[in-house]
Amino acid sequence: MLAEGALAAGCRFFAGYPITPASEVYEVMMRELPALGGLALSAPDEISSLCYCVGASLRGLKAMTATSGPGWALMIETVQYALMTETPVVVALVQRLGPSTGSATQGAQGDIGLAEFSTSGGYTIPVFAPSNAAESFELTVHAFNWSERLRTPVLLLSDKEVGMTSEVVDDEALQIPLLVNRTMATGQADYAPYAAEEPEGVPAFAAVGGEIKTTVTGSAHDTQGRLRKNSPQVIEVLKRLQHKIEAHAEEMAMVRPDLDAEARCLVISYGVTARAARQAVGKLRREGRRVSFLQIQSLFPIPRKWLVRAAAGVESVFVAEENLTGQYRAALTPYLSGKRIYGINRIGALISPSEIAGAVEGAMA
Amino acid sequence: MTPQALYLAPTAKLPYCRGCGHSLVVRQLSAALEQLGLPPRSVVLTTDIGCVGLADALFPYLHTVHTTHGRSTAFATGMALAEAVMESPGLKPIVMIGDGGAMIGLLHLVHAAQLNVDVTVLVHNNFMFGMTGGQHSALSPLNWVTATTPRGNWTPPLDLLALLRTAHATFLARQLATSRELAGAIAKAISSPGYSVVEIVELCTAYGTRWNKASGASLEDIVRRQGYAFGEVESVMERPAFREIYRREMESPRAKRAKLPLPRISTLAKLPGEVRMVVAGTAGERVQSAAKLFCQAALAAGLYSTQKNDNPVTQGSGFSLSEICLSPKPIEYTGMESPDVVLVVSEDGWKELEANGTVAACRDETLVVLDSQIDMVPPRGHVVRLPFRREANPQRAALAAMAAWLEKDPLLPAEAWEAVLASEPADRRAESAAALEIGRRLAR
Repeated sequence: MLAEGALAAGCRFFAGYPITPASEVYEVMMRELPALGGLALSAPDEISSLCYCVGASLRGLKAMTATSGPGWALMIETVQYALMTETPVVVALVQRLGPSTGSATQGAQGDIGLAEFSTSGGYTIPVFAPSNAAESFELTVHAFNWSERLRTPVLLLSDKEVGMTSEVVDDEALQIPLLVNRTMATGQADYAPYAAEEPEGVPAFAAVGGEIKTTVTGSAHDTQGRLRKNSPQVIEVLKRLQHKIEAHAEEMAMVRPDLDAEARCLVISYGVTARAARQAVGKLRREGRRVSFLQIQSLFPIPRKWLVRAAAGVESVFVAEENLTGQYRAALTPYLSGKRIYGINRIGALISPSEIAGAVEGAMA
Repeated sequence: MTPQALYLAPTAKLPYCRGCGHSLVVRQLSAALEQLGLPPRSVVLTTDIGCVGLADALFPYLHTVHTTHGRSTAFATGMALAEAVMESPGLKPIVMIGDGGAMIGLLHLVHAAQLNVDVTVLVHNNFMFGMTGGQHSALSPLNWVTATTPRGNWTPPLDLLALLRTAHATFLARQLATSRELAGAIAKAISSPGYSVVEIVELCTAYGTRWNKASGASLEDIVRRQGYAFGEVESVMERPAFREIYRREMESPRAKRAKLPLPRISTLAKLPGEVRMVVAGTAGERVQSAAKLFCQAALAAGLYSTQKNDNPVTQGSGFSLSEICLSPKPIEYTGMESPDVVLVVSEDGWKELEANGTVAACRDETLVVLDSQIDMVPPRGHVVRLPFRREANPQRAALAAMAAWLEKDPLLPAEAWEAVLASEPADRRAESAAALEIGRRLAR
């Protein structure tokens, strides 16, 4: 469904390299894209996959690749290049158990840190995390839209259990947003490829090969794309790369809240674990507990307003995620001051609804 | 504007050291573009890291892309690939890369050759890393003194063009930066419809000539001593370029495979709540395929289902299993806290269910259907043993076990299976129907 979402979003270029559990996306794109007038290609490694995508996007095509943790590790150099050159591109990271080669057929949610905190300078890469097949479709369209609108790499953080589990989807119930395309530059004489009107603005795009001369560079540059050192304009461009994401954080926020104004505790989860958490919250409520639930779909930028709203009035917050150290919990903690924060963590298997319910009951007893 | 003014301004102040070959190359590139008369907006100059990366600013009318180290060819390849599906193609990507970048990005040079994309790569081979202080590269000649080989280089240099020839590159040439034939070679490379590489041999005047007895006059000798050929090393113009091959691919019937519609039936299943089932067996024995058929039958009968597969990293050995959840409502948790039904058709499957905790999670009311060859006993559960492997053969045992279960516990209407089988390819259909019949017979 992630691949189907990409096709619906207007993706017309895909380069891939086989890796479990992301190979299905690769195979669907290889099968479907040519008939839609797009190009799908086998690359010789993950570095090439993403470089090809960025090259095609510079030429004007919507592009995507799909990989898992080991491949993502190789792509980080090029993700930073896409970020610096403001080139739209979408990467689907279908997580498996790490570190290193880890376990190819074992799901995990262990790449949150590797995904988000992977740039020199600590820039925010928008990350969307689907929890099921329908969300895989919908969030992929959103990922492309934001990538185009903000001219940024966007990450889809799936995992083996979401990516490789077959399930029934009601296609008529899919919430498909309107498609967004990058704003193209008009005029010619004074085109500055990295100039925006506001400090958090997005420059208009001129494709390589088009009538407007464009200058692309991954090195620190001024608004004209010229390599400069000690120029205040360079620092302004570097700041804008972050500000343009932050300025749209609330608009980008996507959550599935199920809040109870009287709740004493809040359960937060994302991706595949959100499904177990939702089921656990249902069980706790049937037992008479007042519990709020927040599934976060847009992991980064962190949907702060939603977080604050969901946590208002509760004493305890539980964050359920399938990793050892609570990577997303650590990222949320600064926005949950004054709350008791508990992690519900496990590796090597799905976290079950009874595990989550049990943890909440134990702490609230 | 005169063509000259469209490329490198004759008065341009070049940023390179006195005597550096890079200055000659940018002038020869400009001359080649003039000779071809290419519109400047149809050219993209893709530069790598190092002193070559300063070249983009010298060509103010061309599109320029300054990349990460070694990746210039890959980015240019991406742009060239896109040409195959552009409405108005015609972009000429030219890559400027050094010997260091060529080695770190060697894979990209090789794959571009295999694809035969319309990319021209100019490898500025000055035997070392210049910008970072004159370190050794994979193309340094034997005995070459660098900052990191102060006693002389002892690793034999790579013959890049010989290597790219084995990758089916269509145009390969080697020239000295000082050669009068350089502009012609670059022009020929750019105008060729496929992938071209020109290795330009030059000296780094900051470090190469400082530490080695080398001059422009001795350069050719240095290269010839390595046994490298000069001039056109390869020129196979008849090999079709990528764009041509891909356009053919897009028009081939294979590329337009229609999707089969999923079957729907009128008799809907009446399921009061969720049913969680595990089917386990041996990889390669169609366990997960049987589970898929089952889920399709459930879908045909109007149910929601999830199918979560597991197997070792290998594809065709060890265990294979599917965990299935059936429900009249959308399903949240896809795991198996405690199964309602367990079907096991081989010892591999049983062992895995013991290892992953499924066996221990069985309740008294769990239905456990085992192949007769499995003589293990779960601690809890209602056990039924039937000879699926013997009667239906191992490849069809999982499907037979499902039919046996459904015979006892008719969750899905028979019509659902019929609809799913009808959408199967003919050869598969008969086989699956036989397996279902055997399972039903055994259960009776």
